[in-house]
Amino acid sequence: MVLEFFRRNSGEGDFGHIVSRAVTMLGDARHSYDLATLVLLSNADPGNVAQDIRDTDQRINQAEQELRSELIVHVSVKGAADIGSVLGFTLLLKKIERIGDQAKNILELAEGGVRMSGAPEIDVVRGDCGAISTFFAEAGTLLSAADVDDEAVADYAARVNAVIDDLHDKMNGYMTSDRPGRDVVPLAILYRYLRRVAANLVGIVRTSVEPLPHVDYLEGGTVDTDD
Amino acid sequence: MDDRRALGQLSGPARSALVVLLIYVFLVGVSSLETGIKIMGEDTQERLFSTVSNPFAALCVGVLGTVLVQSSSASTSVIVGLVASGALGVGDAVPMVMGANIGTTVTNTLVSLGHIRQSNEFRRAFAAATVHDFFNVCAVALLLPLELLFGVVSKPAEWLSGSLVGSAGSDWKSPVKAWVKEPVGWLKDLWGAVVENPNLRGVGMVLTGLVIVLVALAFITRNMKKLVADRVERSVNALLGRGGGALALLLGVVITIAVQSSSITTSILIPLAGAGVVTLRNAYPVTLGANVGTTITALLAALAASKPEALTVALAHTTFNVVGILLLYVVPVARSVPLIGAERLADVAVERRSLAVAYVAVAFIIVPLLGVVLLG
Repeated sequence: MVLEFFRRNSGEGDFGHIVSRAVTMLGDARHSYDLATLVLLSNADPGNVAQDIRDTDQRINQAEQELRSELIVHVSVKGAADIGSVLGFTLLLKKIERIGDQAKNILELAEGGVRMSGAPEIDVVRGDCGAISTFFAEAGTLLSAADVDDEAVADYAARVNAVIDDLHDKMNGYMTSDRPGRDVVPLAILYRYLRRVAANLVGIVRTSVEPLPHVDYLEGGTVDTDD
Repeated sequence: MDDRRALGQLSGPARSALVVLLIYVFLVGVSSLETGIKIMGEDTQERLFSTVSNPFAALCVGVLGTVLVQSSSASTSVIVGLVASGALGVGDAVPMVMGANIGTTVTNTLVSLGHIRQSNEFRRAFAAATVHDFFNVCAVALLLPLELLFGVVSKPAEWLSGSLVGSAGSDWKSPVKAWVKEPVGWLKDLWGAVVENPNLRGVGMVLTGLVIVLVALAFITRNMKKLVADRVERSVNALLGRGGGALALLLGVVITIAVQSSSITTSILIPLAGAGVVTLRNAYPVTLGANVGTTITALLAALAASKPEALTVALAHTTFNVVGILLLYVVPVARSVPLIGAERLADVAVERRSLAVAYVAVAFIIVPLLGVVLLG
């Protein structure tokens, strides 16, 4: 730790290290999400991936704790000038950590015996899960950009929000469906998790451009994105 | 306003050059202080410093002086200047330096009071701050009597200083002294033109020296903090991952030498301890390292002095802290004494918060003030 003092500055900037670790966490969260949805939408044994998902979740939690401490160190050493960024990063890290938890929730559906491979709408569900998976990669790219591209973020948020609306409609459709409960309840629960994952993804990206009080709220702070 | 902003955005090399210039100004201040005392008559010198002939009163003067300027670097540099002038002997200066060590801990204790509204946070922050107080008080309680009886602090310092620049009583031809001679001469001429009375002229020079030392040190610290902030952040992050021990102690030394202020090093730790990011046991060795690191400023000040005794006192500050660490940190049984004391005091402070404020007032102002009045 003493040698660390004499090491040359990396030139990453104040939060470069935090951003790069946040992007790694996002990659981990995607890994967990992909595994959990794969098991739920196929006939694979959840036991094959459960440990991997839980270890990944642990890694995400550990990273979140370490980065939170580093953000406190940043404020202690450099004062309150960066407090907006520090709080933004705290929020962003929490959202990534929540995605890890939501992947675990999806895994728990599979561990509880739910299998959706036989559902008539399986292709649509797979399509929805796949669409969200691609949003992870885009979020990582936007987050690691040296300069925040407001237009790209707005475009991303618009597309993800459209998906969120669609997921919301589908969830409500299953909740009021006349089909047997054992068929539609797991689907309604899954769509609720998917909606939350998508809302967290858009929240992660919006922390880089939005004023802190507005993140997680739409339309001038009147609509809660409920992630 | 624009000038201030421009100063805030100085490039690294420009800021480094500014720090070098400020160190030069600081040395001019120390030398002015020495010259000012020399200008005063011997009677005036004796009257001024008769108070500190009692070592306990000298200790209290050291505490009070440091609390007043909130920097042991500044107060010990002034003590070095006084010793260099011949007005203050090594025997009187060593207890003052020990007092400076205690006085400097007031800053992080005050910082910890900022957490007073949150019980758990305050308990951790106050313990992290007062562990420094407990260590310094224990070190003084142990080493001041040993110093008075056997010279355990001053004798090794004397030997070292004698090996480096010559024995006490001789004149040391410091090259730094020659570099600062010219501006000190200008100040002397300036006061000579304004005031005829040698005592008043001396007072003027001393006050000018004091202001220069305090202002230069404040700016050195501020600029060094900006220069090394990224490094400090990185190394504290490494501390979080690897815990305390000897490396944490060394880190405290390095950071404090870099920012020229133990108060900055220890004050950085308080919010971290309050938030639970750093444990008391991991923060403790860093504060001890800060004790050693802060002695670099007095050593720097001694470079501008003309008497080996000045360097002896500066080195005594270092040996006091090193011996204190050897006795109170390296010995496992003794190590837990300041920790337990700080934890107990923090428990009491959380129960009755007014006592925390009273502790600061009594320990850092009332007791030293009484010591000066009753013993001086």
